[in-house]
Amino acid sequence: MRAYLLTVTMLFRHYLRDRASLFWGLLFPLILMGLIGVAFGREEALLFRVSVVGGGPVAAQFRRDLARAPVLAVEGDRDESAALDDLRRGRRTLVVVLPPSGGTIRVYFDQARAQEARAALLILERFVAEANLRASGVPPALRVRPMPIAAGRRMRFFDFLLPGILAMTVMNSGLQGVSWVVTEYRQRLVLKRVLATPVHPGVFLGALVTRYALTNVVQLAVIMLIAVTAFGAVVAGSLAALAVLAVLGTLVFVGMGLAISSVSRTPESANLLGSLLNFPMLFLAGTLWPREFMPAALQPLISALPLTPLVETMRAVSARGESLFAHLPALAALGAWGLAAVAIAVWRFEWE
Amino acid sequence: MPEPPPIVQVVGLTKRYGAITAVEQVSFAVARGEIFGILGPNGAGKTTTLELIEGLRRADAGTIVVDGVDVARDPRGARARIGVQLQEAGFFERLTVEETLRLFGAYHRRRLAPALLIEQVQLQDKRWALVRTLSGGQRQRLALAVALVNDPPLLFLDEPTTGLDPQARRNLWDLITRFRAEGRTVILTTHYMEEAERLCDRVAIMDHGRIIALDTPRALVAAHAGVTMIRVTLAGGTADLTALPGVRGGTEVDGDVVLASADALRTVHGLMDLQRGGAVRVARLRIAEGTLEDVFLQLTGRRLRE
Repeated sequence: MRAYLLTVTMLFRHYLRDRASLFWGLLFPLILMGLIGVAFGREEALLFRVSVVGGGPVAAQFRRDLARAPVLAVEGDRDESAALDDLRRGRRTLVVVLPPSGGTIRVYFDQARAQEARAALLILERFVAEANLRASGVPPALRVRPMPIAAGRRMRFFDFLLPGILAMTVMNSGLQGVSWVVTEYRQRLVLKRVLATPVHPGVFLGALVTRYALTNVVQLAVIMLIAVTAFGAVVAGSLAALAVLAVLGTLVFVGMGLAISSVSRTPESANLLGSLLNFPMLFLAGTLWPREFMPAALQPLISALPLTPLVETMRAVSARGESLFAHLPALAALGAWGLAAVAIAVWRFEWE
Repeated sequence: MPEPPPIVQVVGLTKRYGAITAVEQVSFAVARGEIFGILGPNGAGKTTTLELIEGLRRADAGTIVVDGVDVARDPRGARARIGVQLQEAGFFERLTVEETLRLFGAYHRRRLAPALLIEQVQLQDKRWALVRTLSGGQRQRLALAVALVNDPPLLFLDEPTTGLDPQARRNLWDLITRFRAEGRTVILTTHYMEEAERLCDRVAIMDHGRIIALDTPRALVAAHAGVTMIRVTLAGGTADLTALPGVRGGTEVDGDVVLASADALRTVHGLMDLQRGGAVRVARLRIAEGTLEDVFLQLTGRRLRE
């Protein structure tokens, strides 16, 4: 027991004195989350800038009415050529030119941004149709009333992203961390030095797994704290459940890291092999964006990856506040991966 | 009075790697309190022999008993009784000397305090230094301290001074001699014949996985290089001196006459007689005893470091 506890303590100190691993474990996930958040996570509402050109009381009334329409921002350009110039420069989505009296409204749009223009046009057309309807005095036969769905809380982008980043951090610690570190210990004969004592080899490996589980839980806590305070992410579910997932995930990926180190001669080749497993999983498993973005043909493969159940249960707990018990099949899949990885690691592990 | 049992008894030790036999039918016994050296060139099987005895590798044949424990049956039990210093010891680079000794102490039931070990290997001023900041000599001292952590009666040192400068090497020799004075047994490998001669009570010479000679350094030299090398510089050229009494052979090296003599005293007397008679004029005379290097040369026809 003393051997185990002291090994955990010393491995932990050894880790804390390594700035590079602190960077990859803590700063890198935060930087990645920040960058992805800046790139894709803007919460700004859909807004089309529209110029309404034309004089007279009719135009003024049209402007006032249109300004009340959602997602349209009405800009008050006076003359048509200036408005079209703005359109060409991409500052406007539509330029609406009103006739002096009733008749045809000309709407200009940029063909290069046809999709955006078409959406804005649709809204404008609906607005005009309603105006016509009101003018005709006929009561509408059908009405639309928007209803928020019963699930309640709206999931913001960071709420979605945070559990993905957490799962990624756990995976990195094994595939990029353990694989490198253990191969280096073997190459530098640290493992052999340990083996030359009467200590049971399992004590050392157990301490290694414990040190990674501990640091992962701490790392995840720090990342969550910063995500919540700096990025406004919401963690809806139980922190204890997330800690359980962190430890389970550590077992899976530390086991895989040990297996990688067993087939690698140098830390560099272990790192390469780790990356070969790491990056495809990161991109496929719904870590940074929904897995549905990937082609349907890949979905069965994605379901089989060890990262997928970790991401999905972490997201279910963190973003949707669900219980672990609602995800027993995913936990079983994780456990199976963990057992397989540890079995391969123990079977193939070499001390020298 | 019966002799005390040896602390290490090796019989018929054999280790094969595929088609290569790294260690072949090696047998020897080491008595308590001696410094036992295994001398040989790189690749002779020294390290493999040591690691077989330490229980780090499994032998293909043979028995090893260390301090009464059969290594094949109880390798971890054997490791509890020995101290091991590995060639190129691996330690955690970002732990201090003190932390390293505490960590390895935790792997033994019996352990000495880090402060005591640090004092023994004279690393006091590096106690709180990270391992990665240590020099080569300091690392070797740390490796020795780790080997001593369980206060073992038997120490295995694998090339303890390889890569050290002469000063650091001599310091380490003093340390190893002290271990013997403390009553420990030391088994070390080396490819420095000077190290074997200065340190070891007995030396096993290994080549191609076999022990080709085993005795005290003095007895080995007497048996296999029992000649004294006499180097004569003559004023005014060279002369054939092989007819002198005791001379077994002679060569010329850089204008000097080099004689191999079985009886240095008689050869030198003969040379002085020639000088008195005016036949030769000796400008300089150098006499060197045979070394383990010469023993190895005699036994294998090769030099130790080739």
